Formats: sequence, structure tokens, C-alpha cells
Amino acid sequence: MASGTAENTMSGLGPSAAAVMRHYQQQLRTRRVYTAIAIIVFLVALWASLDFANSANSGKFFERLPYVFDFIRNFVPDSPMEIVRAMFDLPSPYADGSLRYDYTSERVYITDGFYIPHFIYQLIITVNIALIATIIGFVLAFLLCFFASTNLVGAGATRWVVRRIMEVMRAFPEIVVAGLLTAILSIGPIAAIVAITIHTIGALGKLFFEVVENVDMRPDEGLRATGASWVERVRYAIVPQVLPNFVSYTLLRAEINVRASTIIGAVGGGGIGEVFRLAIGRDHAAKTYAIVILLLVTIIAVDQFSSWLRRRLIGQQFLDTARGAV
Amino acid sequence: MFRLKNVTRRFGERVAVDNVTFDIPQGQMVGVIGRSGAGKSTMLRMINRLADPSEGTIHFNDIEVSSLRGSALRNWQRDCAMIFQQFNLVPRLDVLTNVMLGRLNHRSTVLSLLSIFSHEERIMAIAALERLGIEQTALQPAGTLSGGQQQRVAIARALMQNPKMLLADEPIASLDPLNAKIVMDALRDINEREGITVVTNLHTLDTARAYCERIIGMSGGRVVFDGPPRELNAEAVRSIYGTGSDGSEIDESVTSTAIRNPARQDNDHSTDKESASPTPLALAGL
Repeated sequence: MASGTAENTMSGLGPSAAAVMRHYQQQLRTRRVYTAIAIIVFLVALWASLDFANSANSGKFFERLPYVFDFIRNFVPDSPMEIVRAMFDLPSPYADGSLRYDYTSERVYITDGFYIPHFIYQLIITVNIALIATIIGFVLAFLLCFFASTNLVGAGATRWVVRRIMEVMRAFPEIVVAGLLTAILSIGPIAAIVAITIHTIGALGKLFFEVVENVDMRPDEGLRATGASWVERVRYAIVPQVLPNFVSYTLLRAEINVRASTIIGAVGGGGIGEVFRLAIGRDHAAKTYAIVILLLVTIIAVDQFSSWLRRRLIGQQFLDTARGAV
Repeated sequence: MFRLKNVTRRFGERVAVDNVTFDIPQGQMVGVIGRSGAGKSTMLRMINRLADPSEGTIHFNDIEVSSLRGSALRNWQRDCAMIFQQFNLVPRLDVLTNVMLGRLNHRSTVLSLLSIFSHEERIMAIAALERLGIEQTALQPAGTLSGGQQQRVAIARALMQNPKMLLADEPIASLDPLNAKIVMDALRDINEREGITVVTNLHTLDTARAYCERIIGMSGGRVVFDGPPRELNAEAVRSIYGTGSDGSEIDESVTSTAIRNPARQDNDHSTDKESASPTPLALAGL
């Protein structure tokens, strides 16, 4: 189909332009053939890997699929109000002395009349783990990143050592480090804090030094010409440029760390993850739903809060320039 | 007395600055002209030691600038202020802080890192801005200022260093003619009032003629002209800028590189002339 119309559209062109046009159309045909081949290869690979995963599984995916709905059907609380009671540690009318309906015994009393519900207290523990880990991780990543930037320390030994340290720190998932540390530090939030902090340093450090390597070096040159020392140049020429990005990445990391500390709870890191694992393992539907709802609300709240904070700290001006740059 | 002796700078195979030797007495205002790539910027950067010479020595009085290290080097950079074509301010910091950063080498690092500046330093910075007529911009982020204002902030920062010498690398190349005049007037004022040596790269001949008492012309890394503006005749200009591959020469009506009657040119500053209104004479017509 191409040749007939192509000759027609080329009638108005000069010989050199017509040659370019022919060349372009040839390239276009080649590109289409390659695209088609790529799509076919991708689909075959996708099908093969899904098939492999299915056969490696103990049960077949499509055969087991209906049981998902069975689980959801059987895993319902006695009444919707049970979820609220579980969430706020109110006594249950179904109470029979078993753990399933015992919501009240783990209240955390602040004064004689005022208590924090158990799950909310555990949630505070989880968020607290994430916050402490993010703050410590930010400080250490901030101090390290300048020593990993080629534009500030060159490509020598310092950069190599600092980058390898960061790589080791982020090589292991938090959950692996936490599992290891719970064996040493015993079960509890301290192991979780250390594990998340280590990973945060590695992950933020890498993001940070990449930001630093992209800065405009002219302010740095300006300060070098005034006789400023290396530390002073970093403080006044580099930090003002990178701080908005650092804040942005740190808030993103805070969101990730809340999720991470939840998961670590399930392997003995304390907090909401641990009570979630117990609730679902013991088949306590009302408690499980209460925790899921609390987690959802927390994650959404943390996301909203951090984007609000990011706007406040960095300012509209930065967002505008960032938008203009895209 | 400032002295360059056999200074050479190589980038790989390419020789950017080739065996340059000259003296500058204290308090002179020197313009360096030449085509792009003639080695003007590299030479200035070596004087401030942003770049290191491959060969040769640079002396300022008894100090051998070209061999300084560590804090002695930073002290020299404090004494030898530099301003740039792209201003090289910190755009997100306010103007006043930018100006006070010129004091970094005069003060304790710990105080600097904590952003603790004294009342006297603030007064000094405001006074420097006032002298350059931009004190009303003191609290704005430097990045929001116009090019001419930013260059004056850079000059104010340089003044805060209490320099003995001021280098300017194409200070007016990104400015409109009016701002260019304001900046050049400021440089001349500093040169005359404080007696600070000013060495400036320029790419307009008329600016060099109007402001500088001495002109150094560079071509291919070598000094091919060194003398007062009145000696910069058509022959000298041709040796600096050469001719195009097709034999074309500089057309001042296109480049604004005006060439005025050399006889009227001596720049003793007593018969002050406006650089903005020269009576240009095309090179071809000379």
C-alpha cells in the first residue's frame, strides 16, 4: 500500500527531499517489523513465565481461585459493630471468655479513666519506628552523600568506599536485617528501627548523591573563587540547591518506611504488624478487619500529610520550576 | 606587582595558554581580548587558581601563587576576587547572604556553617549593595534578579573579600548595553577608588578601549598584543582576531566591535568618554 501513495506524495518534492522521504519510509517499515517481533516475543515470554509459576505452585491457580471467595465468605465478623468494638477496645456482647471476643484486656491506660485502644497503641509504635528510622537515616545519608559525589570528591578512594558502604546497607531487604537483629537484640521495636535505618541510609544516600551530582556547579565555582573551604562550599553552594529534592525523597522514604515497619512487625519487630499476624492466624475476623482499616487510614493519612508538608517546605516556586522543566 | 612567567596550560594535546609572560603593576585596569578559545578564560582561572598551570609560575609580590596549597591557596583566592559571565551566585539564597559569602575566608568555619553572621558584616554587605545601587533587592532570592543586578551582587560579594586584585571573566557578555555600562562603570570605580588591580576579559573592542588603560590581545593561547588602547590599530586587531576562512574581517556593525580612531584614544580618565556612544569606523574602511 505504501509505494503507490508514497510516489504520489513525493511528486511535489525535489530529488534530494524525495530521496530523504524514501529513506524515511524505509526506516519506518523496518521499525514496524521490529515492533511487531518485540510484541510477539514479549507475549510468548509472559505466557511461558505465568505457566511456569502456575506449575511450580502446589495448587493450580485457576482451580484454587474460587476458594478466595470462600475465605472471604467465612471470614466475617459477627456484626459490623464488632469491628468498631475491636478497634476501640469496647466490650463485646458476644463475649464468652475466649480470646476472639476479648477486646478490653489489652487497653493501655494513660490515666484511670483514659486509655489508648490496643491496636491504635500498636499503630503508634509502628509509625514511631518508621519516623525514628527515617530521621536517623536522613541525617546519616545527608552526611555521607557528599563524599560519594564525583563532582565534590572526585573519582578516588573516598567515593569508592562510601558508595560500597551504601550498597551493602541497601542490599539486604529490611525484613532480612530485622530477622537477623531480632535474634541478637531480641524481639521488639529496636531491631526494627535499626533494620529500617540501615536500609534508609543506603537507599536515601544513593538518591542524595545522584541529586548532588546533578547540581549546577557555577555557584560552587563562585565560592571557590572567594577562598571558601570545601565544607563551606558544600554548605552554601550545594546544600541550598539540593535541599528541596532531599526533603522530597525523605518524605517519600517516610511513607515507604511506615509500610516496612508494618511488615517487620510480622517477623517480631513489634507494632501493628505483629498483632495483625496474630489476629489473622487465630482466625479473629473482627480484629483483622479493624487492623486493616486502621492501616489503610494510616497509609492514606501519611501520604496526604507528606505531600502537604512537601508543598509547604519546598514552596510553590519550586513546584512551578519543576513543572516548567518537564 | 603581579607577574606571569612562561605560563602554559595544556588540556590533553591542546595548548590553551601558550608560554604567556607579562607584568601588571598594582592598580592597573587591564582588558584581555581575543577570539573564543584564545585562552582568555583559562588564563584568568589560572590566576585565581581555579585551574592549575601546566608550566610556568605566577607571582604576586613575594608570593608564588602557582605553588600554593590548602589554606594559603584559599587566602590567595580571597585576595584575588573573581566575577563570572554567568554570575555564579547561589540562586536560592537571598542577595544579602550571597554578598556575605564573600567573607567566608575571613571568619570561623563553624560560625559560617551555622549561618551566624555579625551585625558589622551585615552592615558591610548592605553598604556594598548600596554602593552598587541595588540595596533594595537585599532580601530577594538572587535567582530572581535580572542579569545586570546579579552581576552587581557578584561585584558586591567580591568587594566583601577586601581583594587586592579583581578578575572579571566576560562580565558583560550576557548583559544588555545599559547594564553592561553600569557593571563596567562599577569595575572602573573600584579600580580608581580602592586602587584594586582589575583584569577583565572582554569580547567587545569598544568596551576595552573605553575602560582599560592597557589591553592584552590573545590569539591561540599566545599574547599577540600588549599595550595602551591607542596602539590598538587595524594591524593589531587583525593579528588578534585574524580573518575568516573566506577572507572576511570583523564587521563592527554586526558584532558591535567598534574600532575608533586610535589617535583619540588614551584613557587617562580625565577626558571621560561614553562607551555607549562611540563613533565606529569599520575595519574595512581604515
